Amino acid sequence: MNIDPIPGNVPPTIPPRTPISPAPGLQKLGENPEEREPIPNMVVAIEAVLRQPRRIMYQLRQPGSGKLIGSMLLATIICILVYGLVVGSFSMHDQLWAAPVKLALGLLLTSLICLPSLYIFTCLSGSQARLAEMVGLLSGLLMLMTLLLVGFAPVAWLFSQSTNSIVWMGVLHLLFWFIAVFFGLRFLEAGFSHTQARSAAGLNTWIIIFVLVAIQMTTALRPIIGTSKTFLPTEKRFFISHWGDNLEKAAKDSRSPD
Amino acid sequence: MQALPVFLRADPSTVRQWIADWPSQFVWFCVVSILLGAGCYGLVIGSWRDELQAVYTGIKLPMVLLLTSVGNGLLNGMLAPLLGLNVTLRQSFLLVLISFAVTAVLLGSLSPVALFVIWNTPPLTGLTRLWSVEYGFLQLTLATFVAGAGIAANMRLLPLLRKFSRDARSARNVLLAWLATNLFLGSQVAWVLRPFIWDPAGPSQFIGRQYFKGSFFETVFNAAWRLIHSF
Repeated sequence: MNIDPIPGNVPPTIPPRTPISPAPGLQKLGENPEEREPIPNMVVAIEAVLRQPRRIMYQLRQPGSGKLIGSMLLATIICILVYGLVVGSFSMHDQLWAAPVKLALGLLLTSLICLPSLYIFTCLSGSQARLAEMVGLLSGLLMLMTLLLVGFAPVAWLFSQSTNSIVWMGVLHLLFWFIAVFFGLRFLEAGFSHTQARSAAGLNTWIIIFVLVAIQMTTALRPIIGTSKTFLPTEKRFFISHWGDNLEKAAKDSRSPD
Repeated sequence: MQALPVFLRADPSTVRQWIADWPSQFVWFCVVSILLGAGCYGLVIGSWRDELQAVYTGIKLPMVLLLTSVGNGLLNGMLAPLLGLNVTLRQSFLLVLISFAVTAVLLGSLSPVALFVIWNTPPLTGLTRLWSVEYGFLQLTLATFVAGAGIAANMRLLPLLRKFSRDARSARNVLLAWLATNLFLGSQVAWVLRPFIWDPAGPSQFIGRQYFKGSFFETVFNAAWRLIHSF
């Protein structure tokens, strides 16, 4: 007797598909009830940007998000002033107030300069985000970035007290800044991915512009680490030429006998 | 004392329970482990020079571990959730402290071996120089012990981090980030607190004023730069 386990005219049964819950990044904002909880103050905003960034992204889309943006900007200013104090502790004296003021001013100016291009570039990418939402995402970037800089502050302080080399401290602060910006931009990109944009090319171009403007700002407001007779520089320079000159000077100093 | 073997086995579920149930007692347990373990090892490595150096190094070595974990506490606490680890600031501080405590206990257990190495090393005399073979050998051996203990402790931390994270990749990324930050700050703290074994410049001092000048990485970079330019 010929026994065929699968009859010829009956197709094999396909096991039913088990529903797979999407990864948090792919879920729609606000699907998780935790994300719908309001962010009443600065402390909660700080906690949220580290642990529940999607909660901030969701809240930025709700009416009355101005208070949250204000809280994030306030946290940014406090954090950058704290880090600026550590930067100024390298040269002490006037730099103790000049460095925090210059860093806070530079960060806010950079954001103001780059905000219009951020909005235009994201719109060109097909994003549905409102201007207020983009301002909020930029504020989140700044808050996360400066929070991380505060985390680096004890390390930066120890090196500030140990070395006399301005170049070395410049490299160290830049390294910390790049790490902080990396995480900040990651937040911005995550927020941007929920704005129904067709492509990320516009945002990527804007990121290059933002980084270049921020670096040039440190040269335009120099000296931030070292000292000078004037609060602002008297000579206009590009950051590459400024860095090149400093590196050359440091190399000469290291070659000259003590 | 009964807790030590359980602690060293670092069974993820047990340690996680400890962190949740007795956080403050657990901090003290780790601090005491660091003071005793690293202190013992410090006493031994400083003893090559003299008794005073032994006492100083016995105090300074635990200080390096404790100052590094405190100095990086905030940063490590921020990096953990950003890299996908579901821990609070206090928990991340405790996790780092655990890795340092395991390192210290391992170093403490290696102290008799280190003492045996020192006992067999030609003693420090007026003819000993920084480039002397015995000093180089001692530096290398003792640093290898520290590196080995550090690696072993961090390997014990990985399963624990996996318990707190969404996936293995997040746990690995957090461990690497913590390693990098702790190595970066720890090197400089150790640089500031040197010497640990011997310094030909003068008598035994806890920290000489000249040691606040310069940084570890700057010195390494300058040495490498000089080496490249000498060819």
